[in-house]
Amino acid sequence: MLPDDINEIDATVRAVLRDVLGLSEARVAGFRSETPLFGGLAELDSMAVAGMLTELEERLGILIDDDEVDGEMLETFGALVRFAASKANR
Amino acid sequence: MIDHYDWAGGREAMLRFGPDTGPVVVAAMPLFEEANRARAFIVTILRALAAQGIASALPDLPGTGESLIDTENTSLNAWNAAFSSAAQHFDPGSRPVHAIAVRGGALVDATAPVASRWHFAPVAGEGLVRDMLRARLAAAKESGEAISADTLEPPGPPVELAGNRLSRTLLAELGRNVPSNRPPLRIVRLDTDTQPADRHVAAAPLWRRSEPGNDPDLARLLADDIAAWIATCAG
Repeated sequence: MLPDDINEIDATVRAVLRDVLGLSEARVAGFRSETPLFGGLAELDSMAVAGMLTELEERLGILIDDDEVDGEMLETFGALVRFAASKANR
Repeated sequence: MIDHYDWAGGREAMLRFGPDTGPVVVAAMPLFEEANRARAFIVTILRALAAQGIASALPDLPGTGESLIDTENTSLNAWNAAFSSAAQHFDPGSRPVHAIAVRGGALVDATAPVASRWHFAPVAGEGLVRDMLRARLAAAKESGEAISADTLEPPGPPVELAGNRLSRTLLAELGRNVPSNRPPLRIVRLDTDTQPADRHVAAAPLWRRSEPGNDPDLARLLADDIAAWIATCAG
């Protein structure tokens, strides 16, 4: 995958978290690979997870199977970006 | 002001804004939890229209808002019938009636006798059901409860999804319905939504936020878009 692609996916995941969770631009800009998401962000409840998945699908043009959604991919910001990149790369 | 409208299944509340003459915009809210999240935003749009001298009405659909009907006893057909009746509350001979709809609201204006339709971020019913099922699946994973998409198939008792008890008939109706494309129709979408539209606007999807929000700038922009569209239709 080209560096441009991963940068775009990184930016899209940040934008989705900002929009769906109502977080500030500054807050999502401060997310690092190891920043915890599920369990770390109070805003990320089950409804928000659903909205986030749908927004990622629409904005990245990917399809996410519900069986693929587990605690691991939602554990950190880096894990979510890697998951999104693996879907976008197919 | 709070008004009412009558439909075959009873009487429901309807908020009214703006003057008693001239064109009327009847607004269809998003469905389910998205309605709670977008209500303040839609009211801001309608107030902005009123400031331009355009009247509007925001009907409660049966089984939503202040309705005395239980949510689990409602259906998409009932919503279409009720929305049509809300539109017919106004005499089209004396004032043109236009429908506007946000998200799943675009699924309830199909049969309404209106001069035009305007949809913001319209969504197929299947997408709404998928979102609610996903939320349920995510919650079920935390609690260890077993649930699958088969759980929704009729016949059977109502299903609890995203805080609502919904009939399987309604879920099945949603699954096979898409927004009306009957002209004259104008579609506005967010720029993050790649589906075709007459206009794409840069904004965040308020209906995704668990904390109800508002976006007065976007509301004004959309009110201007609606006002210009209605003027075109009157042309």
